[in-house]
Amino acid sequence: MPDADLSAAAVAHAPLREDALLRVEGLVKHFPLTQGIVFKKTVGQVRAVDGVSFTLASGETLGLVGESGCGKSTVSKLLMALEKPTAGRVFYKGQDVTDLKGKDLRRLRRNIQIIFQDPYSSLNPRMTVGDIVSEPWDIHADVVAPKDRNRRTRELLERVGLNPDFVNRYPHQFSGGQRQRIGIARALALQPEIIICDEPVSALDVSVQAQVVNLLEELQDEFGLAYIFIAHDLSVVRHISDRVAVMYLGAVVEVGTEDDIYEKTAHPYTQALLSAVPVLDPRARQLKQRIMLTGDVPSPANPPSGCRFRTRCWKAQDICVTEPPELVERGQGHPVACHFAESVQIVTSTEATPVD
Amino acid sequence: MTSTVPQAVPAPKPTVTGGAPLLEVDDLSVEFRTDYGVVKAVNGISYTLAAGETLAILGESGCGKSVSAQTIMGILDSPPGFVTHGEIRFRGEDLLKMSAKQQRDIRGEEISIVFQDALSSLNPVFTVGAQIGEMFRRHRGASRKDAKASAIELMDKVRIPSAKERVNDYPHQFSGGMRQRVMIAMAIALDPAVLIADEPTTALDVTVQAQIMDLLAELQRETGMGLILITHDLGVVGEIADRIAVMYAGRIVETGATDAVFTAPAMPYTEGLMASIARVDQKGQRLNPIVGAPPNLAMLPPGCEFAPRCPRATDLCVAERPPLREIVPGRRSACHYAEEVLGA
Repeated sequence: MPDADLSAAAVAHAPLREDALLRVEGLVKHFPLTQGIVFKKTVGQVRAVDGVSFTLASGETLGLVGESGCGKSTVSKLLMALEKPTAGRVFYKGQDVTDLKGKDLRRLRRNIQIIFQDPYSSLNPRMTVGDIVSEPWDIHADVVAPKDRNRRTRELLERVGLNPDFVNRYPHQFSGGQRQRIGIARALALQPEIIICDEPVSALDVSVQAQVVNLLEELQDEFGLAYIFIAHDLSVVRHISDRVAVMYLGAVVEVGTEDDIYEKTAHPYTQALLSAVPVLDPRARQLKQRIMLTGDVPSPANPPSGCRFRTRCWKAQDICVTEPPELVERGQGHPVACHFAESVQIVTSTEATPVD
Repeated sequence: MTSTVPQAVPAPKPTVTGGAPLLEVDDLSVEFRTDYGVVKAVNGISYTLAAGETLAILGESGCGKSVSAQTIMGILDSPPGFVTHGEIRFRGEDLLKMSAKQQRDIRGEEISIVFQDALSSLNPVFTVGAQIGEMFRRHRGASRKDAKASAIELMDKVRIPSAKERVNDYPHQFSGGMRQRVMIAMAIALDPAVLIADEPTTALDVTVQAQIMDLLAELQRETGMGLILITHDLGVVGEIADRIAVMYAGRIVETGATDAVFTAPAMPYTEGLMASIARVDQKGQRLNPIVGAPPNLAMLPPGCEFAPRCPRATDLCVAERPPLREIVPGRRSACHYAEEVLGA
């Protein structure tokens, strides 16, 4: 359940709340580029994540969008403590968890679970569904007593919309959507507070995507889960997120409520990204602004000076070369990292047509 | 610095020219004979493509859309794939009855294809210049030098920056979007009359996707080629297709002009797809998914393939397969209750 005092606006405009469930400050992850086989020497750094800060309140969904290579998946690995950050801190319920090890780290991981993108490679083909879902309890044995495991596994399967009699089947006997449900059941096994969804529906067929998105929303309401929803599909992100952070080349360039990002888009990159999303409704398409970005994302091993987006930006001026813009409120109602931020409505919202 | 000023122009659509269709697929059926049984991947599909027209074939994975494209290109794996019925007429001549040599001459020259995954479709051990130039060497008997010059010209045409230097690069040195441009350069090298684009942007980011779709539309305006766009992305279809054919379980279940189909679908499957996707221009509300999963193509139900998932299904739908029939001029639907669906 979302906390009663956290109205959407309050969440958006208080980016560093002390009581946030999860708070990330200045997260940096550089991967070394090495040369040589025997004597490896570092010849550069890939700046995968370069100073990312955000908060996550309990029960809320934070969407993390950006193109491939922008560092969104590295952020998820850092949060899961699968990678060690080069700099920056992660706070869980106000406690610094960046350097946790051993038993403490395991206890933290119980509260932060992940659902992966590829439902084919993220399930062990030699384990039965029951074993996959109950495996977390091998490590966190106190969550469910051994005698209750079977019953609890079946409950979980039923909750995610699978037939509980499937416990003894293997992953290959399921379709993509069903496998993603197995992954969700596994993530729920430890009753986490936060689930990181790393592109959970992008590998699924369109008609199945909606089933999984709806399931995630139902589970959120039922268990009060907070999601970090990583995706490159801006439509799905808009649908599920309370707040959205847009990443470009390892940094957040704009963050705000769903309304801020989609209706009062202030960063040129977000504007371009939104304008590139194909619009289905023929009427809305006429109203859409078209911004065509040229070129590719620069290499994160050698990002441009100043503003990282300046090489592709039509607004870029001298100041953008010399001075990196801070992610701060610039009179647009939400933080944006652009010297020339200006809110524009790229996609005109149409009333959602009720479906019967 | 290369960037464009935003413009508030809707993407213009190429005009459809009249006359005899360039490509006609007539009652085509393809099956795969596997150890596990006969999988009926394509079951009697028919469509036509005129010059300058963009036809989108929309469907989910396993609906037979790519198999039908492979059959047109003559690159169906056989065995296990077999064409059991039908004709594919290009300018009135049946491709399936042609000799292998005749087919080879048409492939690339008249009909060419852009695949989804550019990295695995390009040969990693040859430079992109050699791969684009091969088209000229094989079909035109060009010298290495001429082929390379033509390759550079084409790379310019598909807007690969500094084509002169990059012609000697290998596929892995290009980004995903640039690789797809190389694929497109190869496909349009010999000015084909028909270009089949099989999920050309599925592996790409949205901004790159928009660039590639724009490039395809522009090339089409220049050359007047017919474009068959195979995709599962309804948004992409809406942006560039003139006409649309929706496939489900190996069958075309609805056809019509894109805007007409999107405004008022005449088949519950299309309707379900439209209702189930999240839209960037709409705020969050609970999505209406299509229940269940597509049928197993080795065990198709006797009636309508969509009936098990259809909210409107009746006993008639389970018993009898509805034919694809004309509902209103230019619109066809394979649903017993198409008029009701359209009117709803």
